Amino acid sequence: MLSTFLSQVVNGLILGSLIGLIALGYTMVYGIIQLINFAHGEIFMVGSYGGLAMFTYLLPTAIQNQWWFALPLLLIAGAAIAVVVAVLMERFAYRPLRNAPRLAPLITALGVSVALQEAVRVFYPNATAAVPFPKVFVEGTLAIPIGDGIVPIRYTGMLIIVVSLLLAFALNTFVNNSRMGRAMRATSQDRDVARLMGINPDRVIVLTFVLGAALAGVAGILYGADLGLININIGLQNGLFAFTAAVLGGIGNIKGAVAGGLVIGLVKTLGGQYLPGGTPYDYVWIFVVLIAVLVFRPQGFFGETERVRA
Amino acid sequence: MTTIEKPRPAAVPEPTGRLAGLAPHARTLRVLGGVLTVVGTYLPWATFVLNDGPYPEQSTLEFFTVPYGVTGFRLHLLLFGIAAIVLALAAVPAKGRMIRALGVGVIAISVVNGLYIVGEGGGLGAITVADGVAFGAIVALIGGVLLVVGANAGGIEPQPVWNWRLNPWVERALLVVVVVVLLLLVAAVLTSGGQGGSGYAGGVFLSFLAAVGAAIAALSASGLLAWVTALTERHRLYSVALLLAAALLLPLTSAGTEYWMTVAATIGVYAATAIGLNIVVGLAGLLDLGYVAFLGIGAFVAANLSGAAASTIGITLPFPLVMVIAAIIAGIFGAIVGSPTLRVRGDYLAIVTLAFGEIFVRSAQNNIGGLTGGSNAIPNIPPVSLFGTDFNEGVEIGALELPPGFLYYVLIVLIISAVMVVFANLKFSRLGRAWIAIREDEDAARAMGIRTGPIKILAFLIGAMLAGLAGAFYAHKLGTVSYESFRFLESVTLLAAVILGGMGTIPGAVLGASVLFVLPEKLREFSEYRLLLFGIALVLIMRFRPQGIVPDAHRRAELAPETDPAIVAAEEKVAAEAKGEKS
Repeated sequence: MLSTFLSQVVNGLILGSLIGLIALGYTMVYGIIQLINFAHGEIFMVGSYGGLAMFTYLLPTAIQNQWWFALPLLLIAGAAIAVVVAVLMERFAYRPLRNAPRLAPLITALGVSVALQEAVRVFYPNATAAVPFPKVFVEGTLAIPIGDGIVPIRYTGMLIIVVSLLLAFALNTFVNNSRMGRAMRATSQDRDVARLMGINPDRVIVLTFVLGAALAGVAGILYGADLGLININIGLQNGLFAFTAAVLGGIGNIKGAVAGGLVIGLVKTLGGQYLPGGTPYDYVWIFVVLIAVLVFRPQGFFGETERVRA
Repeated sequence: MTTIEKPRPAAVPEPTGRLAGLAPHARTLRVLGGVLTVVGTYLPWATFVLNDGPYPEQSTLEFFTVPYGVTGFRLHLLLFGIAAIVLALAAVPAKGRMIRALGVGVIAISVVNGLYIVGEGGGLGAITVADGVAFGAIVALIGGVLLVVGANAGGIEPQPVWNWRLNPWVERALLVVVVVVLLLLVAAVLTSGGQGGSGYAGGVFLSFLAAVGAAIAALSASGLLAWVTALTERHRLYSVALLLAAALLLPLTSAGTEYWMTVAATIGVYAATAIGLNIVVGLAGLLDLGYVAFLGIGAFVAANLSGAAASTIGITLPFPLVMVIAAIIAGIFGAIVGSPTLRVRGDYLAIVTLAFGEIFVRSAQNNIGGLTGGSNAIPNIPPVSLFGTDFNEGVEIGALELPPGFLYYVLIVLIISAVMVVFANLKFSRLGRAWIAIREDEDAARAMGIRTGPIKILAFLIGAMLAGLAGAFYAHKLGTVSYESFRFLESVTLLAAVILGGMGTIPGAVLGASVLFVLPEKLREFSEYRLLLFGIALVLIMRFRPQGIVPDAHRRAELAPETDPAIVAAEEKVAAEAKGEKS
């Protein structure tokens, strides 16, 4: 049925733009220091919980009820907390290993990932189970009649698509047109030569982590607002999806990350709908795509870089 | 008995940096540290006497155990303190190195006990002069810090090399003593602090662990351990047989109860799996983040062939056959998972293996083909049975009564031995050398005529087979197999076991698996924080000791900076051996 297909496409695009937003952090960090920042998914999760904590414990009820006031505050809070955690992580876990052989930072990233997830589980009240997240946006759906059915589009979903695309566009402009963006691109091409050109690579790397984490924090808030429930496993799960998206789009490539995110979102929803096994297996299809891409086209579909790591 | 002069000049390196100014006072600092440690151990006694009059009835021996039922820690501190004083005053080679090890041990013991006393004794108020135990811990802590500072200020000597050669029979007799001590030590560490979880038990265990670790480090610093290692290498087969006998004798020590046998068997499963993973990661250098799936495949195969009511395949096969089948099926999957290595390298490969692991967990969770039981798991798997004896029952051999679980323990010891034999033979075979060459530089290996593709797949295949073997045991031992035991986190834990122990070595994998699976058992009061601490520990290991507890002497330190003294020493040793073989 057309309407079923279209609603799954809509769901896929919503999920996809969210994943694309997270994937930007993966792609930038990998582009600059060739590290699979495994903990990036947990940064997304921390941002979500951070925003929730601020909403629950700091905002007065009067503001809680005004979404147009609460939402920007939440987004800022989520991004800020994600940034703080990411900067600490970069400083104390990754920077000391900057020149270590490649296995060491990857294993460290695993450790950071486990530690962040557990820290939230242990220290956030009642985080063992899923926690309700405030719906800080217009609730309900816009129903579009198509053929003999309707295609429902959640308002929060529209918000996700608009915000994600805007942020990705802003990031792209920043990286391509600003002075600091040029420094980032120079560092990603050759850190030593960039240093000779008067760029401080440490600052550029921190900035990369900051940008990626801020986007992930925003994604965490949007995710919570859309689903109304968050749990501590969302980081690992969506982090893996986002990583897949980043690889799919060609790692190091900003437009590619967003496009890859959209593809992954569509694979998940359409695969769950039409492929054998149904929804329980929709995760499996994403990982199948991941393996296929890595094996057959590791430079991704937008792979402008030849930086396939040995 | 001939003593050959040390090949290295025993020159003490000039201390540099902030401690240089303290160098003239190094000996004073060391003695003072030792004295403070001893004083710290006696403070509880002193405060009791001062506050409550003469120590009631408790004579010298009990002084070490009361109050708080704190077994041993003051005894360890006292021994360490006296040893430090003697070492500081006597002319012993490498004494700075040994004193440093003792100092670190004193610090660890006093911190652990101090923290536990605060925790169990009701807050910071427990640390008072009147309640001298904790105060003693603080004094001993200061003593330990002084020992370390003094040792560093006086300069850390290189580790001396002993070249004693005794009559072969005397050496063999010595090895028996060493192995017996090792056996008793393992039993003591395993049982210290009881089953954990109650009050001070975790503290007792940690404190004992710190004491044993420091004592071993001090012996290692004196060069004794290196000598014993050389001894075992001279009598290789004999030592292996001794170790196997010792492992089989563990049930006769204090660890011979059902509980400890079960713990030991569980550790054994993960140790065997870790050795298998060590082939993939340690030898071939291929990072596998989904390895626990093979353990799971082995377990599910065994569960389905066991005759359990929930299994879809209604046939029951004898256990040895099941083990073979489980290993083969896991091996086939290993080859499938390994096949992307033909095109994918490095961290991309790690992600591919992770994706395979996730696909396995998701499929098992959804009860794929009715083979995994989904969220209901496969319960009621019958125990292994041989000659009419179920393996989960106790055994009586004559007057000797062995606890339930003993047979499973023996079985897992034999499985681990088999896995070790496979690993050790592979490591030094043509295939093993090819893996190591690939690990070091794949392109160079290919240029040398190694067919890298099949050889990398073979690493996955063999590693997966070993895990499948362990999985078959696991299914029968536990009686229930659920997909929940094979999640991503378990893969990370196994990987951490290999890394913590030292990549590419057998003792490393066993030690790493033991540490990571005994600690949670012992420190149940921290079970809430287990994974948090685990994550932090991973980060710290990578930062401070990436080569693990037992670094591989032949490994060209992919993870360690070239200047790491332990690695450089190990490389020199290898080079010296190579030279000796040539001449």
